[in-house]
Amino acid sequence: MAITLQELLEEGAERLSLSVIAGEEHLNKKLPEIAMNRPGLALTGFFQYFANQRLQIFGLAEFTYLKSLPSPEKYQRLKELFEQQIPGIVITRNRKIPSEIIELAETFKVPVMRTPMVTMNFVNECTVLLEKLAAPRERIQGTTMEIMGIGVLLRGDPGIGKSETALSLIERGYSLVSDDVTEIRRTSRGRIVCWANEVTRYHMEIRGLGIIHVPSLFGVSSIRRQTELDVVIDLKQPSGNEDRTGVYPEFVELMGISIPCLTLPVRSGRDMANIVEVAALNQKLKELGHDAAKELDDRVIDRLTKGRGRHG
Amino acid sequence: MADEIVIKKFKVLNEYGIHARPAALLVKAAGKYSCDIFIEKDGNKVSCKSIMGLMTIEGYPGSTMQVTTSGADAHAAMAEIEELFVNKFYED
Repeated sequence: MAITLQELLEEGAERLSLSVIAGEEHLNKKLPEIAMNRPGLALTGFFQYFANQRLQIFGLAEFTYLKSLPSPEKYQRLKELFEQQIPGIVITRNRKIPSEIIELAETFKVPVMRTPMVTMNFVNECTVLLEKLAAPRERIQGTTMEIMGIGVLLRGDPGIGKSETALSLIERGYSLVSDDVTEIRRTSRGRIVCWANEVTRYHMEIRGLGIIHVPSLFGVSSIRRQTELDVVIDLKQPSGNEDRTGVYPEFVELMGISIPCLTLPVRSGRDMANIVEVAALNQKLKELGHDAAKELDDRVIDRLTKGRGRHG
Repeated sequence: MADEIVIKKFKVLNEYGIHARPAALLVKAAGKYSCDIFIEKDGNKVSCKSIMGLMTIEGYPGSTMQVTTSGADAHAAMAEIEELFVNKFYED
């Protein structure tokens, strides 16, 4: 997803403490490449390889180098830099901004921002923020819970009991991330992160009760802002066609990422919360490299094929 | 209701014997019928509707199992179980 410097400025108001020094009216331009670049090498006049599509960060190194240049040359080098059509400049450590930069920024319509942060800290924070802003996102139907660190997305037809199951899980001490509507985004590490819409966050709708506010009833430990998705659980009417062994796991694709998926048949009197809890635990075990169903199957096959000599 | 009892013997023909996948197929097939279905081998008798039971019965490749179905739909159930054994549980 393309982002503008304006979005970066708003989203990073607290963490990046950026203020605009020049070119405020050009903040709505898109950042062509969602990354940062230290233009030190370019300032020396080397443009054969220059990441001009990125946000340019002026730190102590750039400033010290510029200072060492005589005034006309300094202007010339900076002009060459601006001629590369850079999307924006950030100056760290609250340095006083040379008049040449402000003048060129106005001419070339490039926004210039400043932060009190040390360059390294700024680059770290800004990388995280840029990735978050640029990540592809979607809104899907489903209730998300975090069960002992395992992110579980409950899906199913309306009225099948997603919210009721979530409520039982909350009573068992697990945390609600989102009810019924879940926002997801894909991280650069290939994980799916789930969170709730800001307006309805931490509210649930329970048939017969109406809308409840979960942390007011169950305390702050009953909620979680976001979670990484580990397993998708589909609640379905029993079809008689359910997986009985778990030896051949199924997966669903969410935003191009494959996530383990279980289908649980819902019958009256079946404690779904308990089963979802065990499903989450079993998933955790699998991630630790212990796949109970497969190991048992391997053991059975081993016994069966060794017995061939005696019986067959 | 006429309770019918059908008894048949089958040989395990697939390469690995009755492991999780064939067991799951048998359980799924058996689950469709209301009659009782048991599988017997070397004096061990387990319900054909139990995964764990089928995995403990030691259905070696080449061994012979006796299947008993009893109840209203015994014939239909036996036909479906037979199909699985004859077709090597659709393995190999």
